[in-house]
Amino acid sequence: MTLNLSASPHVRDRWTTSFIMHTVLLSLVPAAAVGVIVNGVHALLVILASILAAVGTEALFCLLTKRPLSIGDGSAAVTGMLLALSLSPITPVVYPVIGSIFAILVVKCCFGGLGKNFINPALAGRCFLLISFGSAMTRFPMLDGITSATPVAQLAAGKAVNITSMFLGTSNGVIGSSILALLVGGLILWGLDIIHGEICFAVLGGFTLFMGLFGGQGFDPKFLLAHLCGGGVIMGAFFMATDYTTSPVSRLGQLVYGCLIGVLGAMFRIFGHNADSFSYSVIIGNLFTPLIDMYIIPKPYAYHKKAIRAASGIKLPPLRQRIPKPVVALALITLIAGVALSGVYDMTKDTIEEQKKAASAASYRAVVPQAVAIEESEAAMEAIEALGGQVYGTKFGKAYINEAYVGKDEAGNVVGYALSVTSGDGYDGNITLSVGLDAEGRVLGIAFTELTETPGMGMRADEDAFKGQFAGRLVSQFVHNKGGVPGEDTIDAISGASTTSGAVVNAVNAGLDFFHSVLQGGK
Amino acid sequence: MKSLILIMISGALINNVVLNQFLGICSFLGVSKQMKASASLGVAVIFVLTIASAVASILYDLVLKPFNLDFMKTIVFILVIAALVQIVEMFLKKTSPAIYKALGIYLPLITTNCAVLGVALTNVQNGYNFIECVLSGFGTAVGYTLAIVLLAGIRSRIREEDLPAPLRGAPIVLISAALMSIAFMGFSGLSF
Amino acid sequence: MNKHIERLYNGLIKENPTLVLMLGMCPTLAVSTAAINGIGMGLSTTAVLILSNLVISLLRRVIPNEVRLPAYIVIVASLVTVTELLIEAYLPTVYEALGIYIPLIVVNCIILGRAEAYANKHEPGLSIMDGLGMGLGFTIALTLAGLFREVLGAGTAFGYRVLPESVSPMGIFIQPPGAFLIIALFIVIMNAIGIKTRQKQLVENDGCSGNCAACAMSCEERKEEAK
Repeated sequence: MTLNLSASPHVRDRWTTSFIMHTVLLSLVPAAAVGVIVNGVHALLVILASILAAVGTEALFCLLTKRPLSIGDGSAAVTGMLLALSLSPITPVVYPVIGSIFAILVVKCCFGGLGKNFINPALAGRCFLLISFGSAMTRFPMLDGITSATPVAQLAAGKAVNITSMFLGTSNGVIGSSILALLVGGLILWGLDIIHGEICFAVLGGFTLFMGLFGGQGFDPKFLLAHLCGGGVIMGAFFMATDYTTSPVSRLGQLVYGCLIGVLGAMFRIFGHNADSFSYSVIIGNLFTPLIDMYIIPKPYAYHKKAIRAASGIKLPPLRQRIPKPVVALALITLIAGVALSGVYDMTKDTIEEQKKAASAASYRAVVPQAVAIEESEAAMEAIEALGGQVYGTKFGKAYINEAYVGKDEAGNVVGYALSVTSGDGYDGNITLSVGLDAEGRVLGIAFTELTETPGMGMRADEDAFKGQFAGRLVSQFVHNKGGVPGEDTIDAISGASTTSGAVVNAVNAGLDFFHSVLQGGK
Repeated sequence: MKSLILIMISGALINNVVLNQFLGICSFLGVSKQMKASASLGVAVIFVLTIASAVASILYDLVLKPFNLDFMKTIVFILVIAALVQIVEMFLKKTSPAIYKALGIYLPLITTNCAVLGVALTNVQNGYNFIECVLSGFGTAVGYTLAIVLLAGIRSRIREEDLPAPLRGAPIVLISAALMSIAFMGFSGLSF
Repeated sequence: MNKHIERLYNGLIKENPTLVLMLGMCPTLAVSTAAINGIGMGLSTTAVLILSNLVISLLRRVIPNEVRLPAYIVIVASLVTVTELLIEAYLPTVYEALGIYIPLIVVNCIILGRAEAYANKHEPGLSIMDGLGMGLGFTIALTLAGLFREVLGAGTAFGYRVLPESVSPMGIFIQPPGAFLIIALFIVIMNAIGIKTRQKQLVENDGCSGNCAACAMSCEERKEEAK
């Protein structure tokens, strides 16, 4: 009996349900094999028990309800295999048996058998076991003799994980945790068009995007990869979410469904406390499939828009019913670009940071030339931390103290101080400058590290005529002089750019004040 | 702010009123046979529950508690709800007869919907202030609507002929609800 | 059969409110986590049910038809509040266990349903027996469900360890999914042995659509109202 379940316009007469199911079963063999090799005989027992229980339950049900025997289609075996692969290798054998019985009997047979269930039987069985037996289900063997925590649990605790071993399947995890083996099987199924790429890649995409945005570590490729390889995401994406019966029929629907599952999975990973949350994400997605199918209608088979339109003058179906191939491509491109960009950013941010430090170090040396070494001062650092990025004082406008260092000579004596101050009162943005002071508070000089004022006017602050005014003067506070009588502590404003010069004076004053209250007082 | 969002999400997903607290089951099982009725009922419940939570909160804080009439809260709340439903009914009859007809019998049933009274009472029990009451009511009603609409979608796929005979009718709906409940347990333990 | 005894039989078996009429699902699912809860909730509901049936039956010629529903609600709400206060005062452990569910007896569809379907049409004597029968039927169903859930989910019955220590109970049965599953199981068994739910009886006899949304009114009245 040939039962072609697929509703998409596939024309494959020879692809019966039985053929498809057995192909899926075969595609899981690599993962099962690796699981058994790594974990030992008990894992094999779990797999066999699970498959036998599943097939047996379905056979018994058919017998008792006088229906034709359906176990030949292989779907029960697939359910049993999937359930087993999602369990810990040291699960007591009775659990997969109970889980399989529940999965086949309640989730599938009660609703009428193959094609009639609305949630994934293997995952529902797994969740049933998780809720029923809690902690006993989440015990893993001590593979490395140190810890029995799974990689996902370790990630949640903030530790790094060995991605390579997750890839090969040698890390702590469920029986079917070899990413490599799963990918081999999954990609073969995708290549044979047995599973829909829209679903598995949308799941992975949604998961990655949400994890990148809200996971707390940006789009760090290592972090994202670690999360993708753990917790059943790959298995769920390729083998569970793609089940024909419980996923939408239309391509757009599949994309929506896949994204939903991915996003939920990431959300549970970040905000939840359960390492097994991905199973729940998939079955929650299953709940939405009927709704998705109701409102996102697939193209009927052989529906040629132009021909029909020409033939009967019907208007095109509304936009949302047209399959958005360009949108998929665009989304994929954006995603790849985003990941690539983050990767590059990650690689370069340290270097850029160093560059910035070198630049400010250079400017400090410029303003405290006698200093051989520029060092941090504890008192200064504490005081700056205490400021917490807030404006410094009340008389200096929007002045911020960024850094403060002590300049020492070869003998280790304090020869001066270098401070970096920013004033937000510049005419065209922030003005950041370094102020050099000697041990008594005499200004040695100022040097700008950020000055973006109007050329010919504010930019003239960088000329010696202006900034030279500060050098060599010992005052507690400078006074900005806009045309009055010059005095001991006055700085002449730049004509036509008094905002700029005022901001500079404020900044220097803030630095001086900081020096007097923090640097000079303590050390 | 975070706690307010948490109250809403808790009401809608983490402690889903139907799948977790078992309030509003009668209409949940009965109305979910038809999608349109389910959606309409859901919207009506959102409206009634939110306002009822608000009114109940005001009444409790301003009248019942200060005058030591805590024991009257059940009666007062249920009367408020009945009155609200009556108002909604009259309002709909005048402004949108089509919706009124679509909701039909389900509108007055909101009065006896344990979810509405249940939420009002839980709000009092949790000591919520006004804003928290309103958000709790809204979140809960959204959760109710979500559950009933999802079940309606699921039920639209079920064909009685496929089922073994003893399972037809109520049992399969209950089993569907059980599976939904298992899925929703994935939300437990979420914290923001 | 004596009319009064017939009411008992009806409520207990023939028209068991939980399993046949499918009324009062909310408390059934929620409270049946342990057998003892079933008894507590069931008996308090029975008490309220008897009193409510009695009062409404006595007042049946007095309450105007248009406001009968709100009137019933006020009466039932008052009775429930009285019950709540009494339990809170004299049975504090029961009060702790039943918590929010006592006030919810107000909207327990069984009480309003029986008021509507029986008490307002029959004499007090029979109404009392109907209340007793329905209440006991509810109690038994509730206790049975609680027993199953407790044994499967916690390994105890009425608090006493039943399952051997080595067998680990299946926690899902004292959680919400388990509630749905156990009640579904009961109804499946009943269907299998031939006791039909009211829905089925109506579908087979009256041609009702079977779309019973509620507890407050019996199907006949609702079909008329819907017209």
